[in-house]
Amino acid sequence: MTLPLRLLYIAIFQVILTSIITYYLVSNEYRELSVKTVKELEIFLIKQKEQELKNYTSIALTSVEHMYPIDKNNDDKVKGVVADIVENMLYNGDDGYFFIYDTNGNSVVHPKQPNRVGQSWWDLRDDNGEMIIQVLIKNAQKGGDFYRYNWSKPSEGQPSEKMGYSTMIERWDWMIGTGVYLDDVYKQLNETKNEISRHINRTKKIILVVALSSIFFIFLFGIAVNLSHKKRAEEKINELGQRVIDVQEEENRHISRELHDGIIQILVSIKYSLEATRLTLLKNKQEKPEPLTHAEKNLAFAIQEVRRISHHMHPQVLDELGLSVAIESIAQDFSKRTGVAIQVFKPTLRKLLPDFINTTLFRVVQETLTNIQKHAEAKSVIISLSIQDDWLILTIKDDGKGFDIENNNTSYEGIGLRNLAERVQYHKGEFDIKSSKKGTLITVKIPMASFVNHFNAATIRTKDDDR
Amino acid sequence: MIDNNNKSKISVMLVDDHPMVQGGLTACLAFYDDIEIVGATDDGAEALSKAKELKPDVIIMDVSMPKMNGIDATEIISEQLPETRVLIFSMHDRPEFVRSAIDAGASGYVLKDTSSEEVYFAIKAVAKGNTHFSSSISKMLIENPMQADNERLTTREQVILSHVASGLSSKEVARKLDISFRTVDAHRRNIKTKLKVETLAELVRYAVNHGLIEKNK
Repeated sequence: MTLPLRLLYIAIFQVILTSIITYYLVSNEYRELSVKTVKELEIFLIKQKEQELKNYTSIALTSVEHMYPIDKNNDDKVKGVVADIVENMLYNGDDGYFFIYDTNGNSVVHPKQPNRVGQSWWDLRDDNGEMIIQVLIKNAQKGGDFYRYNWSKPSEGQPSEKMGYSTMIERWDWMIGTGVYLDDVYKQLNETKNEISRHINRTKKIILVVALSSIFFIFLFGIAVNLSHKKRAEEKINELGQRVIDVQEEENRHISRELHDGIIQILVSIKYSLEATRLTLLKNKQEKPEPLTHAEKNLAFAIQEVRRISHHMHPQVLDELGLSVAIESIAQDFSKRTGVAIQVFKPTLRKLLPDFINTTLFRVVQETLTNIQKHAEAKSVIISLSIQDDWLILTIKDDGKGFDIENNNTSYEGIGLRNLAERVQYHKGEFDIKSSKKGTLITVKIPMASFVNHFNAATIRTKDDDR
Repeated sequence: MIDNNNKSKISVMLVDDHPMVQGGLTACLAFYDDIEIVGATDDGAEALSKAKELKPDVIIMDVSMPKMNGIDATEIISEQLPETRVLIFSMHDRPEFVRSAIDAGASGYVLKDTSSEEVYFAIKAVAKGNTHFSSSISKMLIENPMQADNERLTTREQVILSHVASGLSSKEVARKLDISFRTVDAHRRNIKTKLKVETLAELVRYAVNHGLIEKNK
C-alpha cells in the first residue's frame, strides 16, 4: 500500500469516527433538552390551566354572589335561579361547564348530563376506583383544590383525563366545580416532542451528508494524488528506460570500439606475422606450406566478420568524422540498396555535437530510412541538418505515400519511431512527424544549450592538455 | 620483387596505437631494402612533433587513435610539413573516411587487411608524389564518385575559428598552435571564404550562432 493511500484510509476513518461521536453527542444533548423542555412545558401548561380554572370559578362565584338574598325564606327560589345561571355558564365550546353537588353527593347542576341532577352520586367511582364526588367535596371543603380524574368528555362522548377544581358555596353548603380535559395539554406536549424529534432527525441527516461528502472529497483527493503519483512513476520509468538505452548505446559503442581497435588490430598483427613468415620462406627459397595459405585466408575472413559486427553495433564514422558524415554514409548505403534518390544537406561546421546527441540523431535517421524502405514507396528523400536560431534542426522528408499518424498501429511508426521520439525528448529536444499522402516529414530539434562549446571542450582542451 | 637499386632509402614513420600492428608491419617491411622505418608513435597528437624531428618521407597513419585521430593529424602535418606524404593505413573501409583523408591532405589510403606487398607499393607510390589506394578502395571510389567537401570547414579550420572568435589575434593563435602567422592568416582567409563572411565581427557571430563557442566569451 502506498503512503498516500494509507493516509487516505486514516482520513476516512477519522471522518467516520468524528461523525459518529458528533451524532451521539448531539442526539443525546437534544434528548436531554427535550425531556427537560417537555417537563417544564407540562408544568407551565398545567399551572396555566389551574389558574384558568380558579379564574373561571371566581367569575362564576362573583356572578352569583349578588343573588344571595337577605331573606332566608326566599332561599329555595334563589337557589333555583342560581342553579339556572350556573347551568348556562359555558366556556371553551362544549367542554367547559360548571357542576354543583350538595355535600351529600346529590347532583344539583350538571349542564352536560342533566339526567344526573336530583340523584345522589356519593359513591361514584371512576375507572381507577377513585371516589370522585367524595374527593371533589372534600377538596371544596378544604377551601378549594385541584383533582385529576377520568370523566366523559362532552365533545367526544369518551372518558378522558380531566383536571377538576372544586370549592364551596358556603351559604347553601354546595360544592361548585369545573374542569378542563387534559388531552389538549398532552396534544400540545406531543407536538413539542415531535418537533424535537424532527430536529434530531434533521441533524442526523446533516451529519450524514457532511460525513459522506467529506469521504467523497477525500476519495476524490486520493484519486487525484494517486493519479499524479502514477504519472510521476511513469515518468520515472520512462526516464529509467532512456537511461538504460543510453547505457546500451554506450556499451555498444564501447564493444564496437573494442572490436575495432582491439581484436581487429590483434588479428591484423597476426596477419602481418603470417606474412612475415611467408616472406621469410620466400627469402630462403622454401616452399610455402598449404596450412599457411589456409590460415591467411581464414584470418582475412575473421577480420571481415569482426569488422562487420563492429560496424553493425556502432558506426565508427560517427565517432571519428561526426554526424553529418555518418548520415551521408548511411544515406549512400540506403540509396545504393533501394535505388531511392537521396540528398543530404549539412552545416559548414563539424564535430559540434556530444556523443549522445550524435547517436540519438543517427538512430533517428537510421530508423526513418528503414521505415521509408519498408513502407513509404518513396522516390526521393531529402535529409537536412542545419543550425538556426539556437536550434540544431534535423529534417527527413520523403515523397512516399505517408501514413496515418493518429492510427499508428501500422508497423510504419511502430515502436521504433515512438521510442526515438521519447529519446529525443529525453535529451531535451523536440520531435515532430507530419504525414500526408504526398509524403512524410520528420523534424527533430535539439537546443543549442545541449552542445554549445562542445567542439572546444572535446578538441582544443585535449590538445592543450597534451602540451 | 625485392628492389635493390642504389637510390637512397625511403624513410617511413609509423603512427598506430597498436604496438602489435606496428611490430607486424615493421617485420614485413623489413624485407624490403629500399625503405626504412625511422620511427613510430601511437597517437596523432604526438605524430607532429615526432615528424618535425624525423622529417620522414612517408608517414603511415592509422585513423582511430585515442587522443587525436589520424585524419585530423594528417591535416596538421600536411599544413606544416608539405614535403612529408601521409599514407592512411586503416581498418575503416567507408568511403567517407577516404574522402575525409583526401580532404585532410593524405596521398594514399590502404586498408590494414591488404598484403604487406601492397603497403610497400603504396609507400613507393606516395613517396614519388603519386597517390595510391587499395584496390577495394579504388573500386569503391569509382562506385561512389566523390564530391570534394570543400564547402565545410576542416577540423583545423574550426579550431582556428573558435580561437579567433574567442578573441585571440592571429599572432596569439599562431603561438598557441605552434604554427606560423602566415599559416593562420591563410586559414582565416579560407574560413571567411567558406563561411561567406568578411569581417571579424561576422566570424564571431557565426561561431556563436552555431554553438561553436558560448555567447559571452
